[in-house]
Amino acid sequence: MRDPALLAVAAICCILSFSWLALAMDVHWQQVRETSIQTIGVKRMLRVLAVVALGVSLSLCLKVDHGSMASLVWVMLLALAALIVTFTLSWRPRVLAPLVAWIPNVPRAGVGASS
Amino acid sequence: MFQSFRMSMTWLHTWFGLVIGYVLMVCFFFGALSVFDREIDRWAIPETRFEPQVLPSFDKMLLPIFEKMEPLEEELDAARDRVGGPLPESKPVMGYSAYTTHRDPVLMMFSEYAITNNPDDPRDHVHGYITIDPRSGAQLSDEQLKIGSEFFYPLHYSLHLHWANLGYWIVGFAALVMLAALVSGVVMHRKIFREFFTFRPNKQAQRSALDLHNLTGVVALPFHFFFALTGLIVFASIYLPVGETMFEDVALKQAQEEAAATGLAFDPAGVPAPLASVDAMVVEAKRRWAARDMTGEVGFLAVNHIGDANSYVSIYRAGTDRVTLTGQGIHFKGSTGEIIREDPPPSAVEGVTDFMTGLHLQHFKHWMLRWLYVLGGLAGCVCIATGFIFFVEKRKRAHAKSGSSGARWADAVAVSTVTGIVIAAAGMLVGNRLLPTDLPDRGFWEESVFWLSWLAAFVHAAIRSAPVQQARISPAWREQCWAIAVLAVGAVVLNWITTGDHLLKTLGEAYWPVAGFDLALLAAAALAVFAARRLRLREIGAIEQRETSSGGAEAAHA
Repeated sequence: MRDPALLAVAAICCILSFSWLALAMDVHWQQVRETSIQTIGVKRMLRVLAVVALGVSLSLCLKVDHGSMASLVWVMLLALAALIVTFTLSWRPRVLAPLVAWIPNVPRAGVGASS
Repeated sequence: MFQSFRMSMTWLHTWFGLVIGYVLMVCFFFGALSVFDREIDRWAIPETRFEPQVLPSFDKMLLPIFEKMEPLEEELDAARDRVGGPLPESKPVMGYSAYTTHRDPVLMMFSEYAITNNPDDPRDHVHGYITIDPRSGAQLSDEQLKIGSEFFYPLHYSLHLHWANLGYWIVGFAALVMLAALVSGVVMHRKIFREFFTFRPNKQAQRSALDLHNLTGVVALPFHFFFALTGLIVFASIYLPVGETMFEDVALKQAQEEAAATGLAFDPAGVPAPLASVDAMVVEAKRRWAARDMTGEVGFLAVNHIGDANSYVSIYRAGTDRVTLTGQGIHFKGSTGEIIREDPPPSAVEGVTDFMTGLHLQHFKHWMLRWLYVLGGLAGCVCIATGFIFFVEKRKRAHAKSGSSGARWADAVAVSTVTGIVIAAAGMLVGNRLLPTDLPDRGFWEESVFWLSWLAAFVHAAIRSAPVQQARISPAWREQCWAIAVLAVGAVVLNWITTGDHLLKTLGEAYWPVAGFDLALLAAAALAVFAARRLRLREIGAIEQRETSSGGAEAAHA
């Protein structure tokens, strides 16, 4: 059971990573946090988190399988994660809100005041 | 000719993509199904629904079966044509081999017989082929078609067009074009990173289709690239048959020299000799693999030059723990059982080839990676299908104005290659469950159901695509989605009725080959219903209206 669990965590890390990577983009950030603007610092932090999560997922894949197999699994997990994140943003963007819940709201001019 | 490099790439991508896309759709869809070909075989042949088996005893079970095997009738017919007359009464047996994988409950057995009266080819030979239940040694009826491994799998690389290997060449050309389409697609794509996570399902059909085309093309780009490339590598010897044409003499000489160097005799000695215990050789091969810390069972076993002093037995490992093609062949002298040689580690070039080929052929045991391959294959299908839709959507208004029927026909062929192939495949499964079990040549009728269902889907698409000429959506897309849903659910229900293996039972017993395939069919049906309902909304313009009414609000966000 250990290997499937590690691979499941690797998949979740990929999804987290791509979610943060997407949320570091203005257009997707606004889908999730309509009333908040994104500072450059937040953007940078989300990208760092994304890279760390990608690193964790790759190392988990390498822990379970031989390097050649692990790299294939990882590349394909990236495709799966990108599809999941994109479809979530298309249909249920607010689902990603908890991933940035700890980032304080910086109200947008004109929008924050009315909400 | 073109104002910019980007425009020339756009032209290439559009037109080659359209024409070759129809072929690529078949490669990708049936390639994706082939990932689980053995499991589809289990679904289609209920008497083989048992756990995978290891190679049974050669001495006690396989040898007596091999000795009773006969050459295949169709191979004998072909040999008569080559010889230009009758074949000799005696056809000396040359070799036996057996093949299995970690997913196969059944064992495939092959035999080889010399044709001694062909003056043009002294090495001419024919083959025998049977499948057995390795628990009892009982032969499976060859009226039974292995739908996964003998129909869907070869369809994705040969299109079942065997004349002059035409299918291989068409697919090879398509793979080459696919590589060009990927490169040109990346060049054309203006916002590859900015719109990486973008899919707007409620925009105009043209926009939504392009979003999905870009998304599936980009996220699975490594998969698409490597599968097109490795597909070409797998069949490199067909596309560049230098060993059989320009360099035939050199290739023969090299094979002979290799045989001399390795000690694996190229020709029989002409001196009769008995065969020692092959089971003992299997035990020794396994012991040697274990000593190298390579666990595993025998995947392929071959006995060459049967009954001759030069006979040798080659035993290969079933590669389950690596992507690359493994084997670690160990070769024994047939008459004594002593070791002749162990295959050395592959050279750098061989290593790369084995890895590329293994990546495509996927002999490994990794269920998650298998499903991820299915995802990659289906992403390829979505990419190609949305490419067709974009092509039609972009042109249909202009074509409607000018009275051209180009968009209509592109759409009709797209319907029959997108939903049509799914109907053909699902129709074949329904046929598999409905045709009488004792029907002579049952496999032929199953194949006929496939081709006729596909033809029916094409005729339906052609008849129903008239609205495209008025710049509307062809109702054929929606109607064929409903047909897929009905056929897929029908296949699951018929499997239950005819075999008693309903989902609760197969899930309860964790018999995944059948449970997994039933679940996949139900998922396909659900997706088809979802698509049909969305298409209905598109047809009556509901999605476009919603978009127009919310356009103001979205513009404020942008």
